[in-house]
Amino acid sequence: MTSARNMASNLVAPPDRTKQKRRSSLRDRPIILLNILGVFAFCISWALVTERGWVSPLFLPSPFKVASEAAAVAATHELWWAIAASSVRVFLGFALAAAIAIPLGVLMGSWWPAKALLDPLISLLRPLPSITWIPLTMLWLGIGEAQKVAIVFMGSWIYVLLYTVESTKRVDPILIKAARNLGASEFAVMREVVLPGALPGILSGLKVSLAIAWSCVLSAEMVAAQNGLGALIWSAKDWGNLALVLVGMVSISATVLVADLLANRLERALLPWERHKRQS
Amino acid sequence: MSVILSAQHVSKSFSVRQNEDVLALRDVNLDVYEHEFLCLLGASGCGKSTLLNMFAGFTPPSQGDILLRSSPITGIDPRCGMVFQSYALFPWRTVRKNVEFGPRMKGLPADECRSTAGRFIEMVGLHGFADHYPAELSGGMQQRVTLARSLAADPEVLLMDEPFGALDAMTRHVLQEELSRIQRESLKTIVLVTHNIDEALIMADRIVVMSPHPGQIKAVITNDLDRPRNIDVQLSPAWGELKKEIWSLVAGDVSLHAS
Repeated sequence: MTSARNMASNLVAPPDRTKQKRRSSLRDRPIILLNILGVFAFCISWALVTERGWVSPLFLPSPFKVASEAAAVAATHELWWAIAASSVRVFLGFALAAAIAIPLGVLMGSWWPAKALLDPLISLLRPLPSITWIPLTMLWLGIGEAQKVAIVFMGSWIYVLLYTVESTKRVDPILIKAARNLGASEFAVMREVVLPGALPGILSGLKVSLAIAWSCVLSAEMVAAQNGLGALIWSAKDWGNLALVLVGMVSISATVLVADLLANRLERALLPWERHKRQS
Repeated sequence: MSVILSAQHVSKSFSVRQNEDVLALRDVNLDVYEHEFLCLLGASGCGKSTLLNMFAGFTPPSQGDILLRSSPITGIDPRCGMVFQSYALFPWRTVRKNVEFGPRMKGLPADECRSTAGRFIEMVGLHGFADHYPAELSGGMQQRVTLARSLAADPEVLLMDEPFGALDAMTRHVLQEELSRIQRESLKTIVLVTHNIDEALIMADRIVVMSPHPGQIKAVITNDLDRPRNIDVQLSPAWGELKKEIWSLVAGDVSLHAS
């Protein structure tokens, strides 16, 4: 950058992003190839040990058996209903956790008395796995939808809170100073600087909690539920249908992966300024 | 010319360890006049940035008063706008939204904010980059955005803390000339901190030379070199004499500090 004119011409033609993308995907190709190879090798060995009878079908059904079972439950819509039931519970519990934990976390991160007041309580609640809440929530809420949602909430809200507090505290103090210097009120600083500054960290927290929320709903469904993926697996075990157990497990993986993918999409849409940071 | 900002018997000490205070400034008296371009010049440790931070209300003096239009500054005051050395741009806002921040905080209507921002983006030569994010710009351009953002907030005094310190020599030179031009156009009162004698000579109406341990004012020099201070002025005997005079004032401090 030797002069203002040069500086300007550099930016009149911003770096061609499509070209960058193409180059990086070319470099990624062997990685993707190996990714596929790994999964493929795993399935082949699975098919081999089960079809050859080295492992009894009582302990592990063959991948073909699992595939035909999957096709059967998909055709009766049983699988789709199970996925939908679990997803709705995760969504509700998770939304509730975010709605409560994010404002509370911003408050705790920016106002020390709130943090001092709540820190000991949170330290007590944090080590409790969400399944330990099953007896109490069943007593309070029965075994219906509300109880499942409560388990998801109890399992995920603390992580959302901790991430929010941490990222709120880590907002660059010079940006707060700058905002005040430009005439922002305390409330405006909160809305215009602290919240957007903490947003990347809050979203990372939500992504971590999303996976945790899924494990919560499954354990709740295994203990007591009429439907959902956890109930599907648990009843399949009772019927001795091991193939259906595996179908349930694969469905969980696939559903959580899709949820993660959607979360990443959402994250990118909400943080347009982070895109440039990652590329440079 | 009327006094707009003034430091009266200002001292500032920081506690570095328990029972150990360092005196950063001792009994500083300084008047800043309306519409002038003032440079605070000195070696590191002379308290020039401390004084600037007190003008902005970021930190209070230990003794004495900072007065803006004869009334004391008690907290962060938007009437004294700060241009940070580290830019301090909001990374989640585009150039336009960064520059609009001050007018918006004043509660001006949206279209007025937008036209004000547009005018200052134009003034600092960033036309066409209004919708870029700060991370997409070079250091020099980010410094222009910070300047535009502070100007758009329309403070009574513009405080600048080594604004060009992080830039390469040539970009710095271009921005120094532009800042001089902008100051002459807008008649904004500017207090700029620097340790670069040439920078002070290019821009300042008056140069406040400070010395360290503890920080105090050594001399106030009026700089009436011809404007614009282009290369011809910079090679003139008058420039050389003024530079020599200032250097003789600070040379002792610099070698003392370096040893």
